Amino acid sequence: MSSLGTSRPMTGLPRWARLTATALLVVAVVSLPLNASPFVNLQLSIVLATAVALLGLDVLTGWTGQVSLGQSAFYGIGAYAVAVCTARGWPLLVGLAVTVLIAGLVGAIIAIPAVRLRGYALSMVTLALPVVAVPLAKRLDGLTGGSPGLATRTVSAPEWSGLDNDQWRFLVIALISAAVFLLVRNVLKGRHGRALATIRSSEVLATAMGIPVQRYKVGAFVVAAACGGVGGGLYVVAVQFISPETLIVTFSISLLAVLVIGGLRSTLGPLLGAAFYVLVPNVTGAVDAGQSYLLYGLCVLLVMFLLPGGLASAVHRVLAGAARVLPGSRPAVPDLPSQHPIPAPPLPEREVR
Amino acid sequence: MLLFYQVLDGLVSGSIYAALALAIVLAYRATGVINFAQGQMAVFSAYLAWSLTTIGLPVWLAIAGALLLSVVVGAFLERVVMRRFESAEPLVGIVVSIGLFISVNGLVSLIWGTSLTQFPAVFPAGSIELGDVGITYVALGTVVVLLLVIAALQLLFMRTRLGLGFRAVAVNPESSSLSGLPVGLLLMTGWGLAAALGALAGTLVAPALYLQPGMMDMVLIYALAAAVLGGLDSPFGAVVAAWLIGVVENLAGTFIPAIGNDLKIAVPLVLMCLVLFFRPQGLFGRVEVERV
Repeated sequence: MSSLGTSRPMTGLPRWARLTATALLVVAVVSLPLNASPFVNLQLSIVLATAVALLGLDVLTGWTGQVSLGQSAFYGIGAYAVAVCTARGWPLLVGLAVTVLIAGLVGAIIAIPAVRLRGYALSMVTLALPVVAVPLAKRLDGLTGGSPGLATRTVSAPEWSGLDNDQWRFLVIALISAAVFLLVRNVLKGRHGRALATIRSSEVLATAMGIPVQRYKVGAFVVAAACGGVGGGLYVVAVQFISPETLIVTFSISLLAVLVIGGLRSTLGPLLGAAFYVLVPNVTGAVDAGQSYLLYGLCVLLVMFLLPGGLASAVHRVLAGAARVLPGSRPAVPDLPSQHPIPAPPLPEREVR
Repeated sequence: MLLFYQVLDGLVSGSIYAALALAIVLAYRATGVINFAQGQMAVFSAYLAWSLTTIGLPVWLAIAGALLLSVVVGAFLERVVMRRFESAEPLVGIVVSIGLFISVNGLVSLIWGTSLTQFPAVFPAGSIELGDVGITYVALGTVVVLLLVIAALQLLFMRTRLGLGFRAVAVNPESSSLSGLPVGLLLMTGWGLAAALGALAGTLVAPALYLQPGMMDMVLIYALAAAVLGGLDSPFGAVVAAWLIGVVENLAGTFIPAIGNDLKIAVPLVLMCLVLFFRPQGLFGRVEVERV
């Protein structure tokens, strides 16, 4: 089914290699915060929070082909929901449940008009979300704290763990992110993923095949919104603060950009994209603080020039190479997704006047 | 009387949105990509014009010079950056234009700094009295300049061989190429013209806003909304939509107290959503026909 764009990085590897890699990853994630400074833990936590939001955007944009510029609004909904709930002393999981409910509901409401639209019209409608969300967040200052923002204590390390707060928060965020990634990945693995991929390549074809196109598109919107919300909630867990400036339009636009930079339709893509978004400005800032923004923009262009399939495509290529060499591999799959991008949706026929 | 002034104000800001929306539509018709960097390129051009005034050129000459330089910059960016991605997924084109947006923003900050810079007035101060209403020269000039631009574009597209070439390439690049049109050159010129229009928007808005790297960000949102609302491939639609957006926003902000100044941007966007709901192709766009 790889021709439909399911690109899981380790599919080609033998079983033992996959298990070892997964185990190594888990050990790395758990031991990472123990040796890192609070700043590094904070940065890594934000990477994971951003990755969850990107994962949702990938379902909508990468898988279903609906280009959305509104993800930062859902990120904001989640961030405020978690901030408000935890500020009232409710447990984090309640806050996240509220987030999923509200963000999912808003996503469903937005989806109803949006599923009628295609391409750029849809992008513009979704772009309206953060544009409206920022002044709204400032207006509802009883709830959101207005322009100055809202500070809260989300989770603290329990006594028995012997961990610092930043370490504990990173682990909590990593656990929740992993759960969301597994959930979404498994939903996309089967017929739902294939249905979305078919809708992306041609809605007419999908309808002809009996796929309930509208229902899937609304579903993709809801998943994107809920993941965006959880991502924002995790951001608040890490940063303990949220202000309206977090949801600005440029953040939405950046999310879309780093999703493509990370790589569409790949489990690794959102992670790599989030890492790019959070970490590259640190690097360019260190190189030259005055030119940080210029260097960041050039990095974006550079990645698109060298790896139009995103950073994940490079990793996929390496892993595909490894799969050929390692003992116990299945015979090489001829059409690896990284070398076989999904064909772009057919260009609209243009009327000749 | 308040109503009249508010409509006029709306038309003036609408004209500036229209200039940038026209730029977006032109670039879209040439290369099929919505150029998110269009506003940032306009900022770059406005700074260029400002630099030309600092070496002693009168402001009108400086703007003309900046427009010409912008044509070169736009053509250069199309050839060197955008060309590679025109056959890729549309999403890739969007992201490349976002990369351009960030890079040009960084470049502007690098060359001219991020502090506010005063741009010299383009139109004389004061106003022209017509009966008991006064229209400022700025308002009048902005609208008139836009009307001239529309007339010039109309002439260019409908009465010249170059315009015919543009239209041919927009409809079908492959056939145009087979009939011997220099497609690459036309694409570059399309982007060059778009950059010049953006430069016009930038220099028209600069005296009111002060020059700063982010000065076109909000204008870009309005212009994008206008371009999409107008139908994306219709220059006429973009202008009408931009005026509509300018006027509706101003009236709603003034006469509906609950909306006020901070939420008035929501009004044209909600209007856009409503229109698109009933006419997904925009006000003047063509219906897309999908071949299975």
